[in-house]
Amino acid sequence: MLLFRDEGHVDRWCEARDLTRGATITPEQAWRLAYGWYKDKVQPQWRRHTVDEAEALLSSVGLNDAFWNLRG
Amino acid sequence: MSEPPSDIETLARDVRIYVFREAAASARVPQAPDISRALGRPESDVRAALHHLAAGKVLILAPNDGNIWAANPFCAVPSGFRVSAGGKRYWGICIWDALGIAAALGTDAVIAAPCGDCGDAMTLEVRGENLVRSEGVVHFAVPAHHWWDNIGFT
Repeated sequence: MLLFRDEGHVDRWCEARDLTRGATITPEQAWRLAYGWYKDKVQPQWRRHTVDEAEALLSSVGLNDAFWNLRG
Repeated sequence: MSEPPSDIETLARDVRIYVFREAAASARVPQAPDISRALGRPESDVRAALHHLAAGKVLILAPNDGNIWAANPFCAVPSGFRVSAGGKRYWGICIWDALGIAAALGTDAVIAAPCGDCGDAMTLEVRGENLVRSEGVVHFAVPAHHWWDNIGFT
C-alpha cells in the first residue's frame, strides 16, 4: 500500500507498470484501518482477527465493495 | 475442551511477545540469535518458532535467509516509510504499516513517506490517536482476498 500525491499520480504509476488500478482510500481511512488492525499487536494477549472481525473493520471505514471482500 | 498448546505453540507465543515488545521498545526488530539469547532457547528452536509464526501470518520472514523481514507493522530494515515516535525512528513496509506503528505504540508519531509515483516527500502525523496532518491518497494495488498471495508486493 503506497501513498501518492493525488489520483493522477496513482494513474501514472499504474500505467507505467501496466497494472490494473486498484482502490484508493483517504489517509484518514487508512489510519482508522491501521488503528483497528494493529493497536493490540504488541500486547501479549494479541490474536489474529477473524475474517468476520476484519470485514467489520473494513466496513466501519466504508469499504464494502467487492475489492474489499476477504472471502474471495 | 480444547487441546493444550504444543511445545512449538508455547515457544512461538514467547517469541512473539519478545519480538514485538522489543521492536516497540527499541525500534529494532530482534533476529533469531538475539531471541535465542534473550529466551535461553536454542537458535534452531527459535527459527522453528519463527517459521510457525510466519505460517500463521503473525510476521514475515525474508525469503532468502529466513530472518525476520517484518514483525509487522515493524519492518526490520530501513524502508521509505519512516516513523518518528518517542524519540526513535521506526520503519514500516508500507503506508498502512507505518500508520500501524503509531497505533501499536499508542504514541504520537510523524510519518514520512514518498509519493509512490514521483517520490516527493509527504508527511502524515498522528496525535492523541487522531490523524491531525494528512495529504495524498493511499492506493491498494491488490484486492483484499489476495493480500497474502504476495505480501511483499501488496
